[in-house]
Amino acid sequence: MDLIDAVASLADGSPIANLRRQRPEFVRHSQGSHDVLLAPADPGGLSLRERAAIAARVAAIDGDAALSAHYQSLGAGSESSPRLETILRHVELVTTAPGSATPAGLEALRAVGLASRDIVALTQIVAFVSYQVRASAGLRALAAEVSA
Amino acid sequence: MSRFTLQPVEWDAWMPPVEADTATPRQLAALEASPQRDSPYFRTLAHDVDSLEQRSPLFHAVMYAPRGLPRADRELATVVVSIINGCVYCSSVHARRFAELTKRPEIIQRLYDEGLETKLEPRHRAIVDFAAKLTRAPRAVSADDLKPLRAVGLDDLQIHDLIHAVAMFANANRLMQTLGEPLRSA
Repeated sequence: MDLIDAVASLADGSPIANLRRQRPEFVRHSQGSHDVLLAPADPGGLSLRERAAIAARVAAIDGDAALSAHYQSLGAGSESSPRLETILRHVELVTTAPGSATPAGLEALRAVGLASRDIVALTQIVAFVSYQVRASAGLRALAAEVSA
Repeated sequence: MSRFTLQPVEWDAWMPPVEADTATPRQLAALEASPQRDSPYFRTLAHDVDSLEQRSPLFHAVMYAPRGLPRADRELATVVVSIINGCVYCSSVHARRFAELTKRPEIIQRLYDEGLETKLEPRHRAIVDFAAKLTRAPRAVSADDLKPLRAVGLDDLQIHDLIHAVAMFANANRLMQTLGEPLRSA
């Protein structure tokens, strides 16, 4: 069982868990993306708690309670700072209105100490959780259909 | 006139992309494994090589894995997501892939000009509606939303693939639009 199985309540051996295993690359690299974004060997200038806070904010905006709980368990919400507030304002924009972003938004992130790699990692976390929310929502619908 | 296009679009990064002569061996290998190693987009993503190493094979599998949902249907779904999210670059790339596969660019042009409610054949209608709902309101998606897909003959694996194509472009549209911007080629 991987994280998407867990948040979509897909038990080992259930029809939709088995369906997912027909696409092993999806499973491997969805979990792999999560692991390198939330728990990288070298987090650079974006701490593990900040990474968890970014992911938790996306899951909360999209209304995914199971993913929110997962990212809370990784340490989101355990601290607050002006730097984190700046980061989370950008996260909300990328989540809710990605077409409204401007270069000035990246300058605001640089002003609180994020380097290019950190900005790309932040954006990848928002983009990945946006993917994960929709993959999980669709899989839950498939599972509900099977059990209906 | 729609701002979306079937013509090629360039993309300009809001930060200096990784350059080949200063890239690490891992960055070079990740760029080699990406769809276009020289593009400013992938060279920007290469700043965080850990995530690029995972994302490229995920993206490739979602768009090109054999069997399951026909490629043209995956491309159609990604165009719909890109229209909703406003991603001119993503929609251009995948609109042209759909047109190459189907020889029916007019379907895309109607979606651009008349919106997602334009008249479509039932299979396309079902795919467009599901892609739009999963994009806009993921938490509201239920088994009922799969009925129109079943009615046009989609099986479990095809719906699984459609879900992931839609999800992948929630991802792609955000990277594309918040690390740089499209430029219409001259």
